[in-house]
Amino acid sequence: MSDDTILLGAVAYDPKVVTIWEGIRDHFRAEGVKMDFALFSNYERQVETLLRGHIDLAWNTPLAHVRVQKRTEGRSISLGMRDTDRDFKAKVVVRKDAGIRALKDLEGKVLAVGSRDSTQARILPLHFLAKEGVDVAKAKLLAFDTDLGKHGDTGTSELDVLKALHDGRAQAGTVGDLIWTLEQAAGRVDPNKVEVLYTTPGFDHCMFDAHPAADRGKCAAFQKALFAMKWEVPEHRKLLELEGLKEWMQPREEGYASLRAALTEQAYW
Amino acid sequence: MIATLAIEAGDLPLGGGLLALVRPALLLLEPGGILAVRSSAASVVQDLPSWCRVERHRYLGYEDGRHLIERGSLGAPRGAREWGYRLKKPSAAEVVRAVPMPDTANADTGFAPRGARVEPGGPRYPFDLLERDRVAPPEVAQLYDQAVAAQWDVGRDIPWDTVGEHDPAIESAVCQVMTFLAENELSALYVPSRFIARIHPAYVETAMFLSTQLADEARHIDVFLRRARVAGGGLGVSSVTTSRSLLSLLEYEDFTEAAFVLSVLGEGTFLDLLRFVEEHAPDPATAEIARRTRNDESRHVHFGLAHVRHALSTDPTLFGRLEAAVRRRAATLHDVGGVPTPLQDSLTLLAAGSTEPRAVARGHEAFRALLEAMHAARIKRLDRAGFTAEQAELMSTLHTANFM
Repeated sequence: MSDDTILLGAVAYDPKVVTIWEGIRDHFRAEGVKMDFALFSNYERQVETLLRGHIDLAWNTPLAHVRVQKRTEGRSISLGMRDTDRDFKAKVVVRKDAGIRALKDLEGKVLAVGSRDSTQARILPLHFLAKEGVDVAKAKLLAFDTDLGKHGDTGTSELDVLKALHDGRAQAGTVGDLIWTLEQAAGRVDPNKVEVLYTTPGFDHCMFDAHPAADRGKCAAFQKALFAMKWEVPEHRKLLELEGLKEWMQPREEGYASLRAALTEQAYW
Repeated sequence: MIATLAIEAGDLPLGGGLLALVRPALLLLEPGGILAVRSSAASVVQDLPSWCRVERHRYLGYEDGRHLIERGSLGAPRGAREWGYRLKKPSAAEVVRAVPMPDTANADTGFAPRGARVEPGGPRYPFDLLERDRVAPPEVAQLYDQAVAAQWDVGRDIPWDTVGEHDPAIESAVCQVMTFLAENELSALYVPSRFIARIHPAYVETAMFLSTQLADEARHIDVFLRRARVAGGGLGVSSVTTSRSLLSLLEYEDFTEAAFVLSVLGEGTFLDLLRFVEEHAPDPATAEIARRTRNDESRHVHFGLAHVRHALSTDPTLFGRLEAAVRRRAATLHDVGGVPTPLQDSLTLLAAGSTEPRAVARGHEAFRALLEAMHAARIKRLDRAGFTAEQAELMSTLHTANFM
């Protein structure tokens, strides 16, 4: 990019994405940082556009993040993440009447899973189950491949998994801990029917990725304005709530190893 | 690890009621405080750490059958927790004694009642009456309690069957007076209502008092219009003089100026007008209407005086501003002339009791005496508000010929 405006890519997984980025753009302007955004309909296009250098940085899912890192041979620049992106976990939830006492019991059962590009509802729970010695091929997968290209952002497939569990179409299912916790806290999970069986180890989620050749001044300005957003400030809090976080955090890389291993194992790079 | 607070959660699952114990317990803790949750539910071992992650509390682990949680700092409500009140005879005045109004209020707390702990990060509200001394005189809660106790019912409390038949000229005069009263009370309904939405809820007792004032005005409008149409008559004329005068009331943007001009000067003058109507009413129902409405109005005048006196005692520059407010209004009304003629004639005939010329002469005298009584009473009220004799004389003279 030749001008001094930071151009950010984001995927429009919901109409609220416009509200979020217009709000954040206003906040950046107030901080003296010029920023604009381009919306994509899917992460694959966003990643390609970033790699061509048509945008400075992208707000990426973990799947898009590790793909960018692989394609740039680790030269892309990670700029920040949400507090909720750290130590994300996936859950295996089971029907209480399914007689599933241990992970091995999942074999032969109907296992509902989220979209195939959802890190938390499909890729990583299946990876960790395999690591725990479950022969996933022996489970009957009931897959909800909704909103492909959005990498699970909409949460639709996770809600589908919970619905299938509640109405008995599945005996077990995989969801991220965020949806699982929020649905429980909101009273939308029937604890008489379903309960958690297994929690995966932690992994990290979304990340702001900058092109390897991105202007370092822009990257610094972006981080400064981003980290200035505060939960206690009414205008910020509205945006943070919409984006699903309470605090922006510094980037860290150690939380993506399991995803890389899973993508290799599942031949899904 | 020593917990600050401990709860027994039995075998409750996270999604099956556990949070109804955990969340209120965390609200009692300061950030950094430790909550111990004794739980025998196996699922909670997996679900509670996830919930803590999402809510930004620190899950410290599970030991001796207890989950330990360190309360996070994000979103902790501000202020001290209220607890232990035992109000004896709950009245608004007692509430204000127990929970005093703050000197200034913060618009970020929205509609949170005074005393509630407020979670930070809520939106700003457009309240701009944020200083106690400009909004809430010390007597306001007491006046509110009195107003609530003094509400009356137009259908039940007026002896409507005593109206009877009058000479059409006298009935017509009554109808014109009722028309004028209703029109002015409409302004007394609209003017305070413009300020209620600007008052910070920390001073809710003022909004509550004003709402009784609005209820009073609504009842007055109702009773005046009913009286005009109950004995063969109907509404009279609305004058441009009245219309101009009332519009100028609606244009005040400052709460204290509006309270001063509407309640102290306008409604104050109406006390004398209503006493005149009561004294010369042709029937007991009309007299009772005037008596009851005057009682209500005197409460409004009392509040207006309390408001202005209190504001003046804390801000001496206000004397000049209030005087300027009266002068400004007088300047816009300078070409309006005297008392609206339809009203003037009706009051004269009302006092005369008939169209017989000698009676009319007496009525005219009574009307002139009324104007003098109004002027004298206004000066007394201004004196009670704290103005000098010169200021009082000037402001009373500049007061609108429309009375309100």
